[in-house]
Amino acid sequence: MRQRALAFGLLAPALAIVAFTTVYPMLSSFWTSFHILNLSRSIELGRFIGIENYTEAFNEDPEFWQVMRVTAAFVVLDVTFTILAALGLAILLLRQGFGTSILRTLLILPFAMSPALIGISWRFMLNPDFGAFNRTIAAVLPFMRNTDYLASPTMAMGALISADVWHWAPYFTFMLMGGLASIPPETQEAARIDGASDWRVFRDVTLPQLAPVLLVAIILKSVFALKVFDSIVTMTGGGPGRSTTTLAFFAYHIGFRDYQFGYAAAVAYVLTAILFLFSLSYMRFAFRRTA
Amino acid sequence: MASIQFNAVTKRWGDFFGVRELDLAVADQEFLVLLGPSGCGKTTTMRMVAGLEEPSSGEIFIGDDLVNDMPPRERDIAMVFQNYGLYPHMSVRDNIGYPLKVRGIPREDAQKRIDAAAAKVELGPFLERKPAQLSGGQRQRVALARSLVRTPRVFLMDEPLSNLDAKLRVTMRAELKHLHHELRITTIYVTHDQMEAMTLATRVGVMNKGVMQQLAPPEEVYNDPANMFVAGFIGSPSMNLVHGDLVDGTFRAEGVAVPGIGGGSRTGVVLGIRPEDLRVVGPGQGVFDAPVYSSELTGESTLVTFNVGGRHVCARGDRHFRCEIGEVVGVAVDPQRAYLFDAATENRIRL
Ligand SMILES: Nc1ncnc2c1ncn2[C@@H]1O[C@H](COP(=O)(O)OP(=O)(O)O)[C@@H](O)[C@H]1O
Ligand SMILES: [Mg+2]
Repeated sequence: MRQRALAFGLLAPALAIVAFTTVYPMLSSFWTSFHILNLSRSIELGRFIGIENYTEAFNEDPEFWQVMRVTAAFVVLDVTFTILAALGLAILLLRQGFGTSILRTLLILPFAMSPALIGISWRFMLNPDFGAFNRTIAAVLPFMRNTDYLASPTMAMGALISADVWHWAPYFTFMLMGGLASIPPETQEAARIDGASDWRVFRDVTLPQLAPVLLVAIILKSVFALKVFDSIVTMTGGGPGRSTTTLAFFAYHIGFRDYQFGYAAAVAYVLTAILFLFSLSYMRFAFRRTA
Repeated sequence: MASIQFNAVTKRWGDFFGVRELDLAVADQEFLVLLGPSGCGKTTTMRMVAGLEEPSSGEIFIGDDLVNDMPPRERDIAMVFQNYGLYPHMSVRDNIGYPLKVRGIPREDAQKRIDAAAAKVELGPFLERKPAQLSGGQRQRVALARSLVRTPRVFLMDEPLSNLDAKLRVTMRAELKHLHHELRITTIYVTHDQMEAMTLATRVGVMNKGVMQQLAPPEEVYNDPANMFVAGFIGSPSMNLVHGDLVDGTFRAEGVAVPGIGGGSRTGVVLGIRPEDLRVVGPGQGVFDAPVYSSELTGESTLVTFNVGGRHVCARGDRHFRCEIGEVVGVAVDPQRAYLFDAATENRIRL
């Protein structure tokens, strides 16, 4: 009993800080989402309007649905390319025997960089006048000279996804390498002897055994993709138009640009609900075996 | 059906030799057993036949094909792995049927063959289970069934019975022997159990430290060992090996003198006699007397250990033989059944 009291006492300050910095803002913004709060008029919480902010988003705001489509496209493409790149790298690196420490360091470097910085440097590299990408691509495809990638909706989205894949692929490469390394090699050897080609060994034996790790990686990356914010701010600013505005950036924009905090809180809570669902499935799959 | 041939095959990792300069010809339809202590290179030899390990030098043939660069799936072999190598995400049925599935055998035909293979190893009731839901012995039987589900050119079996209980092991041993008689497929079988080797093999290859020590039919390996390692490794309890000198046809060591061991003199020899070739007699009636150190009744015989000049020497006596520990008895030796080895080279000295 005293042991538990002591443990709780030692945890209390940390819990208090978490409560103050996380729980309180969460509850407070939840409350806000049922009100009008327009900071350009008043810092006081305005009229209680029930779920009107939510109905406005779903029923009246065409922008909201465009943002939802952009978010869905971004998440699906980003997750797909990140996981495919990571899987390919993991297989190649594992064949090399887990890689030298230099290789590992090189791999982890993009992950060690801040997303905001990544956005800025990619923006520079894509600059139509002096960007490194631009120069390189123009050397191979001369007609692409002076293309402003970030001025085209598709190419801006492509650039944003590329930067995020570049940022996250290393992390998931390591995760999948761990998963691949824990597959008993005899299972793959048995399949080779049983007559399977390399592709069939991968499809029939390796992939099913990797599936739990792969699933966790996909869920985790989806959560990270939904949260992408810094690189949008520094790279595309959500544009051109709304073409790279995802939910996270949209909520920020409504709040800190339009000062519609009630509406912004409601949009943020839509994102929170989606994240919650992903986290729930993550908890289920990631901790299924230990539970 | 096919023969297998190794020409001067070496497998090394850095300067460690897994298998050294192996020359081996396995005849078509032969059942060759590789026998040796753990780490002697048995599995490595087998994996080179399977194509899972590439020889560092030398050539391997299956039939007339030089297979050094042939991928495993083209070699037409079936293998039972020492640690099963089952597919954990597939049911027992799908595990057994996988070699048929990749070959595109029609479903109905495949089901029949799966059922037949499963019946052979008594797995019928477990077909829908996953490997994780089986005991070690059952998993091993799944691995066996998977190798039996089609008719390959070569069977490779890496200690396939090692995890079965004693009773099932004897049953499965008989089953394997019968199966080989029926199918006549060239088989390489790895074991460290000499009973399995003796009962199953048409020939036994005894290996040690990556080197083939002797390759001969079971009775020859037992009765005519090529060197001290084979002599000591084959037989249970193992052969008594006593260091001493040969003086005018009499072997002499501390507390022992055994006459009639060939002719001539030689220093630094080892006399080898199997426990079953020593007889316990009355004091003074044998070639030497010694106190009994222990006496164990095994059921079919009595093992008597003597203290001879500080060494233990074992004799297998009649199962009705009884004696007291400490009692002095005589030991009779049949010099015809004694082996002589060079203590330095460990090679056999033919008498
Ligand atoms: N991939 C490998 N790398 C280095 N050494 C190995 C490798 N595989 C096996 N060996 C070594 O080769 C020797 C023979 O192994 P193995 O053929 O598995 O022995 P066993 O007769 O018990 O089956 C062992 O000492 C083992 O440690
Ligand atoms: Mg082995």
